[in-house]
Formats: sequence, structure tokens, C-alpha cells
Amino acid sequence: MTTPSPHQESTDLDSGQTLRVIGRALRFVEPFRGQFMVKVGLLLLSLLPMLMLPWPIKIIIDNVIEGHPIDEPIRPYPELVAPLLNALAAYSPFELLFVVIAFQTTLFVLIGAFGTSGSEGETAESYLASGYDTASRTENEANAGFSLTGGLLGLFDFRWTMRLTQALNHHYRTRLFDRIQTLPMTAFDDERIGDAVYRVMYDTPSITDACYRMLLTPIAAPIHILLTVSILGALYGDHPGLVYAALAFLPIALLSSLPLAGAARRMSGRSRQAGATATATAEEGMSNILAVQSLGGEERQRDRYERDSWQSFSRYRDVFRIGIYAVLLAGLPSLAVGGYAYFVAIDGVIAGELSRGDFGLLITYFFQIMASSQMLGALWYRVQASAAGLNRVFFLMDLPGETDRPGGVELPVIRQGVEVQNVEFSYPDRTAVLRNLSLKARIGQMVALVGPAGAGKTTLAYLLPRFVSPQRGQVRIDGQDIASVRLGSLRDQIAFVFQETVLFDATIEENIRLGKSDASDDAVREAARRAGASEFIEKLPQGYATPLGRAGSKLSVGQRQRLSLARALVRDARILILDEPTSALDPATEARFVSTLRDLSRDRIVIIIAHRLSTIRTADEILFVQDGKVLEQGSHEALVALPHGAYRNFVELQGGA
Amino acid sequence: MARNSPDQDLQGLSRLGDGSRHDRLHLRLILGIGLRCLHLLKPVQRHVILLFAGFSGLSLLLLPIGLLFIDTLWTRVLQGNPMLEIEAWFFRVPIEAATSSAGFDAELRRHVAEKLVLWGVLLSAILTPPFIGLYYYQIWILQRVNQKLRVDLLSHFQSLSLRFHAEVAVGDAVYRLTQDSAMVTQLVQVLVLTPFTAIPQFLYSVVVIGLFAPMLGLVLLGVLIPSLALGWWFSQRMRTRFRSARETNAALTSRIQETLAGIKVIKAYGAEPIEQAAFEDASHRAFATAFQARNLYAVFGMTMFWTFGAFALFITALGTIEVMQKTELAATALGFTLWNLGLYNYFKARLGGSVESLKDLFRTWGRAQDIAIGLDRVFEVMDHEPEIRDDPDALALAGVQRGISFENVSFGYHADQPIFERVSLSARIGTITAIVGPTGSGKSTLMALLLRLFDPSSGRIVIDGLDLKTIQTASLRDHVSIALQENILFGNTIRENIRFAEPEASDSAVQEAARIAAADGFIERLPDGYETLLGERGSKLSTGQRQRLSIARAIIKDAPILILDEPTAALDAVTEQRVLQNLAEWGRNRAIFIITHRLSTVRRADQVAFLGGGTLAEVGSHEELMARPDGAYRALVEAEGGAAP
Repeated sequence: MTTPSPHQESTDLDSGQTLRVIGRALRFVEPFRGQFMVKVGLLLLSLLPMLMLPWPIKIIIDNVIEGHPIDEPIRPYPELVAPLLNALAAYSPFELLFVVIAFQTTLFVLIGAFGTSGSEGETAESYLASGYDTASRTENEANAGFSLTGGLLGLFDFRWTMRLTQALNHHYRTRLFDRIQTLPMTAFDDERIGDAVYRVMYDTPSITDACYRMLLTPIAAPIHILLTVSILGALYGDHPGLVYAALAFLPIALLSSLPLAGAARRMSGRSRQAGATATATAEEGMSNILAVQSLGGEERQRDRYERDSWQSFSRYRDVFRIGIYAVLLAGLPSLAVGGYAYFVAIDGVIAGELSRGDFGLLITYFFQIMASSQMLGALWYRVQASAAGLNRVFFLMDLPGETDRPGGVELPVIRQGVEVQNVEFSYPDRTAVLRNLSLKARIGQMVALVGPAGAGKTTLAYLLPRFVSPQRGQVRIDGQDIASVRLGSLRDQIAFVFQETVLFDATIEENIRLGKSDASDDAVREAARRAGASEFIEKLPQGYATPLGRAGSKLSVGQRQRLSLARALVRDARILILDEPTSALDPATEARFVSTLRDLSRDRIVIIIAHRLSTIRTADEILFVQDGKVLEQGSHEALVALPHGAYRNFVELQGGA
Repeated sequence: MARNSPDQDLQGLSRLGDGSRHDRLHLRLILGIGLRCLHLLKPVQRHVILLFAGFSGLSLLLLPIGLLFIDTLWTRVLQGNPMLEIEAWFFRVPIEAATSSAGFDAELRRHVAEKLVLWGVLLSAILTPPFIGLYYYQIWILQRVNQKLRVDLLSHFQSLSLRFHAEVAVGDAVYRLTQDSAMVTQLVQVLVLTPFTAIPQFLYSVVVIGLFAPMLGLVLLGVLIPSLALGWWFSQRMRTRFRSARETNAALTSRIQETLAGIKVIKAYGAEPIEQAAFEDASHRAFATAFQARNLYAVFGMTMFWTFGAFALFITALGTIEVMQKTELAATALGFTLWNLGLYNYFKARLGGSVESLKDLFRTWGRAQDIAIGLDRVFEVMDHEPEIRDDPDALALAGVQRGISFENVSFGYHADQPIFERVSLSARIGTITAIVGPTGSGKSTLMALLLRLFDPSSGRIVIDGLDLKTIQTASLRDHVSIALQENILFGNTIRENIRFAEPEASDSAVQEAARIAAADGFIERLPDGYETLLGERGSKLSTGQRQRLSIARAIIKDAPILILDEPTAALDAVTEQRVLQNLAEWGRNRAIFIITHRLSTVRRADQVAFLGGGTLAEVGSHEELMARPDGAYRALVEAEGGAAP
């Protein structure tokens, strides 16, 4: 297998890769394109009030306070609004005030802004508090709802957006979770759990920002800039300085943010990596609390967490620092341009070419253009942080999964047996585990795999349900190469009991029924009885309905082992594989269980890995495995009869000749 | 599988889980949480004061300058009214010319405008970096506060008993550590920065507007009545929803963690679709509760704004009338006597400022509800008393000379379900005690009592005559070393795993421990040897190999008491014999307990303790116990298939 490890993951992308990552993220919007179009519509609709808002300011200043007649403006209004002006001209300044106030009240209910000076407005949003690290800021991203306006329109827009964001995020993270479940199980060991939790919970929300930025900003910002600049040009074209100044913001934002793009992406990637490490440390410590407490590792775990957690905070500050540079780089030139525009406008007022109302209007428009330009100009820079998160998600999605092979035939009910032919298997670092190993087992047989620790017994057993696939050789069931069958149809016929028991935080009954979800209550009880678990279960006050708590931690290891056995038995599969199923069982329980296995093997294949003689000796066939090869093969009696046999030696050491 | 609902998951936390059903946080409790967090600020007290001084210094500087700039711009430069003396002085223009109608001509206005713009740009350029710097400083300070809370919380989690941990999902703990604790960073904002800037700003606006026209100031002040009433009505509802949102998100985290921890079984039994459906359901619920919470928060914000806005529009209308009529100001100062355009704009700016500060204040109040809920989830863990606590006058153990004895020890996780009762057993230094018995008879639990992971429900355990309860737990655990039945290894190198409990151990000590555990052979064959990262491919180690690492980890601690819980279950016979031989030599002056089913192991013991039927059924040497015709031990040995030779 060539599963890349997380340590091979590159944390940086070049610009081309970044574009591809973002392009890929945008395809996740596809199922929601209708909703997205509505959002675009809402956005464009909310631009209108932004264009309208400065006008009341002008009217109040020029025509109400300074009392200029509205139909004799210092500067001509566009033809378009002439009818409106004529209508307003009849009013006295006092009446005009009430007309304007009424207009503002309407605006303020509808869009949550009343434009007395252009800046007071409420935009509908619901950003909640977050901390100063990347993880805690993502919850706002996953639930982002926003609008350019407030009021009734804003609330509607906000709710629409939040629903869309959540749908998009839900879609994205469930796809990721689905992918994670198809990864080969060797891709998962303890360290990756915290990392995977981080990716599902905190890296997936990057999609929100990437999609909105890439899809909304390029539509809304240019339209807004264009409209505003056209208005400026139409009304104040005789002051070209104003128009040029308005146009200058965009290149400034663009030029100043480009050099920081790479750094922004790298810092965000590192911050996420550091956060994932801290999460993994916490997860590992909490999961293994028994080991931590009984080995006295509290201080060590605390120090480790302290270090990792601070590292994630420091990395977040790096991200923030890049943001500061961006603000300073773009801010100072913009300030100069803004100052120039102010001066031109003031000059116009002093020269009598512009009214004071015009001045107020201009300033408001300038602020708006500056904001939109910065959104557009810094687009590439802003999207980098998301690209880093998306890249971490796609990395996991792109790991080769088990079910990827297309096609695959259904495996019919197994009638004959299993044959492992000349398989070889090594780990990515080329440590060979299985070397040219073969094995045969028929229905009706019980086969024991014996041998020193690390000989490859578990890996051999993993071949049958295709938990791992051999690099050479084949595994055949009823003559069919299992590489070509549908994975589900293969695993449905196999029950596997692992060395380490795995129980879930559910009731005993639900844990057993995981083996076969439609098993009847009787079948569950029968399986528990045969696994020797019924006695202790029935002694519990809640019996089969007893909740197990975290990972079954309320039970002893032996009891947990018996529950996993019951889970395998209830499955009633054609092949039963048991990896050291009885190591923690007392001899009496074990003896009973072994006779159950003998019964079961009459119409099944039972493959058992064990060290205990009492378990092994009853097998029809014993395979002694060492260094990835089958050294000896035969019945207990036959193997013990070999004079210097490895198995014989093994039996003698166990003290039972 | 229908896992337990989050509420059930958390029975271990007595104060937990009632948030989604009824609101238990009131104003008083929220303030209590705030006060409680103040002590977290103590270590960074100096920094907070400095930060606050910095922010308020800059803001105080800007307020009067702002007034001067706005008035000069609007009333003087744009409208052409003569400047005030103070303005002329401030902008360094000839005072006589600037303050007279005749002297303040277009040229001088242009000159003032140049200065105004230039200074404005310069001032912004100069003041932006300190503001950003202060903000960065704030982040650094608050990260330190958050760091301390996180580490304290983790320490506290680690001090809580296994009984507690059995009830609390790992994902929930992770959520509390990462997300809930982060709320502490907002505390300074909520308790100090926002109120201390927004309230004075609002009051300042009230006073300024009041000075212009007292009636308007009063109306502005009146906005507080409906605002507070609405704030009260919304807060309680928001808290309930914020709590649900946090709980469902924590449950989602647990769901991912549990699925991944059990991925082997899920794959083997084809349960992926069930897990997927459960995940989608949990994810959906997390989003649905977040929607409800955030939607209410947005509606709250909008409602408050409508309230402020209605007042502000009304006041603007009144103020506009004043300026249209050029009414006299209520209080005259700095040479201002009548309403003018500059003052009108300043009045509007102040009015806008007051709306902004109220908005800020109430938005923050809304967020504070969520912050309090998050911190409450942190504190309910912190308030959970550890079951095992040191007596104030507990002693440190200095070596073990004689031995250990269990005196009439009984224990059960629940009082009505004893696992074993009245167990009495002594083990001297220099002996090996084998503990055998049927599954579930409490062998591992008996050893957990020796480590004081739990306290016995009755009876006592004594080391060299000292009751465990009179010994400092940390010092006790320093003297007891254990190789666990489940070979839990950490995502770290083999070397670090071996010296997990003894970080200071030298490399040669690590190798020696590996040798005794018969692990040196396979470690040295690995390409990276002792530096092999286990997290990366822990699955590459077989259970037998992991088992030997965990034995090495117990050995390196060099403790006088060693517990081996089924140490050789996964070892082949050859390796087992080597390990036992090495242990016997190494353990001459220690007390060793071995829990085992293997006869070959039991035979090496000086005494065998048979735990069964809820008590210690038999104690004695292998031979003595075998001599009992109907003995439970004898039956066990015979079942194992190896009658004594």
C-alpha cells in the first residue's frame, strides 16, 4: 500500500495549485446553484440602497439647512431625477425635512439604515465571539450569514445566506467524513484521530469563505465600483481628479496585497497544522486517561499540551501579523489618495463649483468605493487562508480509498473455501511482513495461526476481508480473486474479532447488534450466551440495555472481549476470524468458547490466531508462521511428532507436552 | 447505532445538561462567571492595565481633535465662516486674519484646507500603527489567559477519576478544551473594554447633545428604557439556544472521534452507512441549533437597532429644526453660541457615535450570553471535585522496605454491585504474587486500588504500615509501576513511549529496559530503531511488540512495586520465557504482581492469589493450591490442559 502519511503532506501550494484547489471547492456549490443565484440577486438588490443612501445627506445640507431651493441646484441633477425634483420643489425647507425623514424611516425599516451621515446602518449578521486561534474562529465561518443591509431585507438575506452556508458546509463535511470512512484502516492510528477531527470540524468551513469570495465579490464589487464611478463621472466629470482618485483604490489594493499572498497561505496552513497537533494531543490524552493516570504521565501530558497549545496560539499570531502588513501596505497609499480627493472636493466647494451637500455625498461614495476596491483587489490575498484549509481537506479526500476500484462482482455465498496464493506484503518503508505465503482453508475447517509476535499472523488475517491488499499473489474465495469482488459483499460474509476490543458508547445490545443490524433479540441473547457473556450481562441491573460508557470502560477487559465475540457470532458469517480472542478469558470460559467454535466450524471456516495451547490444539489444521512464511503445517498431533519442529518447541515451552 | 444523547453522555457532570431544557444562568450567575474569570487575568494584570491605558489614551486624544477637525472642515473651510481662535491656533494660521470675515478669504481657506488634509492624513498614518500594535498586544495577552485556562482545564480533567471519564465523551472534552475555553479571550472585551469605552462614549454624547439642547439629550437618554427591556427579554431565550448549539457541536465532535476510534470494527462489520447516517444527523442537528441561536441573535441585533434608530431619527429631525432656525445653544463654550453646520455635523456625528456605542454594547451583551455559556461548560468541569484527593498532611513515600497488604478490602463501582468483598492479601518485597481468576472477578480493579485510581469502599491498603490515604498520590504512583493490559502507546517515538513516565531517563536506561522486556531485538531491526514514530504506523507493531514496549515502560520507572496486567498474553512462548526470566532477575528486591491466565507464568510466582466468587478464594503457593482436591485453582489449571508434571 502506498498510503501517504500526514508527514508527507506538503503545507504549501504554488499559485496554480491554489487555483485548482479553489476551483475544486467551487464545484461543491453546484448542488446549491439555485440558492446561490438568489443570493447573488439579493446582493445586487442591496447595492441599490448603498447608492441611494448618500442623497438624503445632500438634500438635508443643501436644501434644508442651507435653504437653497431644490430646483435651483448649484450643479445640475441628472435628467432622470428631474420629475422627482420638481415634485420636491414645491416644499418649504421645513416640509422637505419631513419628507426626507419619512424617506429615511422607510429605508430604515426596510434596509436598516437611515443615512443621516451615511455610516450608521445595521447589517444583519450573527458573528459570535471567537477566540484567538484558528479553530475557534471557524465556527463563525461554518454558520456565516451576512448581508450588506439590515432591516427586513437584511434579515431575509441573512437567513437565506446562513441556510446556504450551512447546507454547503454540511454537504462538504459529510462528503469528507464519508471519504474518511473508506480509507484503509491502516491509514488510521491513534495519532490521526485528533488530526481528522480537526479537518472535519475546523478545516471544512474554509469552503464558505472561498465560495462567497470567489463567486460574489467578482460580481458585486465591479458592478458597485462601476456604478458609483459612473455616477461620479456623470455628476462631477468636470473634476477629473475625483474620478481618477476613485479609480486609484483598486490598483493600490491589488498591488499591495499580491506580495503577501504566499505568506498568508503558508501561515494559515501552519496555524491549522499546529491547531490539529494540539487537538490530537488533547484527544490522545483524554482517550488514554487510564494509561496517563496509572503511569503517572499527567505532568508530561500537561507539558506536551501546554507546548502544542501555545504553538497553535503563536501560529495564529503569525497569521494575524500578515493581516497587519496587508492593512498597512494598502492603507497608507489609500490614505494619500483619499486625502487628495478630499482636497479636490474642498477646493471645488471653496471655488463655488460644488455645494457642501455634494461634498458630503462625495465622501460617502469614496468610502464605499474604497471598501469595494479593497474587497476586489485583495481577493487573491484573502482567499489564501481558505486555500490552506481546503488543501488539508482535499489531502484527506484524495488518499486512496478501499472502495475505489470500479465495478466488482457480488461474491455469492461461500460454498468451498479460501485460498491464499503466494502473497507478499510489505509496509511503505519496505519492511516485508509476508513473504510468498500460501494457505488453504475449506468450509468445515478450523485453522489456527501460531507463531512468534510480529510474525505476520494479523496481517495474514487482514488479507481475507481485504483490510490490506497484497502486493503480489492472490487471495481467492471459491476460486474468485477477492480483488475483483465488491467489498461489501465480501465483508458481509466475514466476521472479524480484533485483538484490541472496540466497543462504542451505546448499550450492550446495540454493541452486539453492530454485527448484524437486523438480528432478533433472541439471536442477540443466543450469541451472548455462546460467547460466555450472558451471565455477567444478566447480572447487571439494566441487563442488555446497560449503556457502556466511553469505549466500554465500565467493563473488564475479559468482559469486553466476550462482547466482541458475541458481536462476531451474531453475524452468522461464513468465515469467522478471531485474532487472539481469548487472551483475557479464564480457562473455564475459554474451554467453553472453544467448543462453541468447534460447533460453529462445521458449516463455516474458523480462522483463529492464538498462543494458548488449549485453544490451538483443537484446530483441524495448525499453521506455524514465522518471519512472514508458513514454517510448518498440519494437525497438532502431526506437528508435535516432528522431532525438532518449531511448533513442538513452542508447545514444550508452554509447559504442556 | 443510536448512541446516547449528549445529555446522557454527561451524567458525570452534576450541573450539566439542563441548559437545553431550562435556563439556569441568570444575570447574577453571568456576572459570577465574569468575576470568577478575573483571577485568570491576574497573571497578566499589568499588561491589561497597560493595554487599557493605551487604548483610552489614544481615544481621549482623538475626541477633542475630532471636534476641531470637523468644525474647521465644515463650518470654516466649506462654509467660509471665520475660524475660532483655538482652531487658528491649532492649525497654525495667522489668528487675526483667520478669525475675521474679511481675512478668511478663499486663499486662506484653501491654505487651511491643505493643512487640514495633510494633518488628517499624517495623523491617521501615525495613529494607525499604535492602534494595530495595541490590538496585537491584546491578542497576545488574551492568548496567554486562554492558554492558562486550557492547561488548567486539562490538568483538572486528568485529576478526575476513571469513573468520571467513563461517562464523558472524549470529543466533548476536546470541545471544552478548544472551543469553550476560547471564550475567556472575549471576557476582557465584554467586561472591560466594551463597557468602559461604549458607556462613556454614550454618556459623552448625551452630555454634548444636552449642552446643545437639553431636551435632545434627555430623549437620547430615554432610549435606554426600551433597550434594557428588550435586552432582558431576549437574553434568556438566547442563552438556552446558545447552550443547545454548543452541546450539539460537542456531540458532533464526539461522534467523529468515536467513529475513528472504532473504525476497525465499523469496517469489519460494514457499519459505514449507519455511521454515515448518524454523522449526517449529528451534523444536521448541530447546524439546526446553530441556526436557531444565531438567527435569534441577529433578530435581537436588528430589533435593538430599530429602537435606537427610531430615537436617532427623531432627535435628528429635532436637531435639524434647531439648526434651520439657528437656535442659541443651551451652553456656550469655546466661542460657540449658535447652532451652525459644523456643530450640526458634530451633533450628528455624536448622535451616530451614541447609536454605534449602544449597538456595540448590546451586541456585546448578546455575545456575552454565549460566552458565559461556553465558560460555564469549562467551569462545571473545574468544579467537579476529584474523587481522589490528597489529605492536607499526606506524606511522601520514601521507598518501600517491607511490603504491601490489602486489609479486608471491598470495592464496587456502584455501592449495590460489589465486585469483590473482604479481600486480604499481603505481598512482601522480593516476592512475586500471581493473581488469577475468572474474567470479571476484579483482578485489574484490585490493582487499580493499589495505584489509588479508586478508593476501596471499605477496608484499607497499607504500604509499610502506611494507609494509602495518608500518602501523597503522586508519590504513591512514583513507587508503583504498571504494564497495562491494553497496550496503550502514544503518538511519539518508541524512545519517548518507553520513557513516558520517566522523561529524564537516559538512552542507556531506555535500552536496558527494552532488553529486560525482550523488545530490543525487534526495535533494533526497525529502520529508525528507537526513533521510530509510532503514531505514523502504530499498526505496524504487532500486539506482542506493543506489549513488550509497555513492559519496558513499566520497568524503566524503577519502582519498588511492579504490576504486570496480563503481560504476556500476546507473547509467544519463547519470548514469554525470556521476559519472565529477565523480570525475575531484575525484580529481586521489588514486590511484583502479575495478573495472568498462563500457567507457565503462574508457576514462577511465590504465591498465587485466586480471585473468584466475589472475594479472594484461595491464597498459597502453586503446590499448596494444587494439593487442594476441590480447589478452584486446581480446576483452573486442569482446564488449561496442563496438569502439573
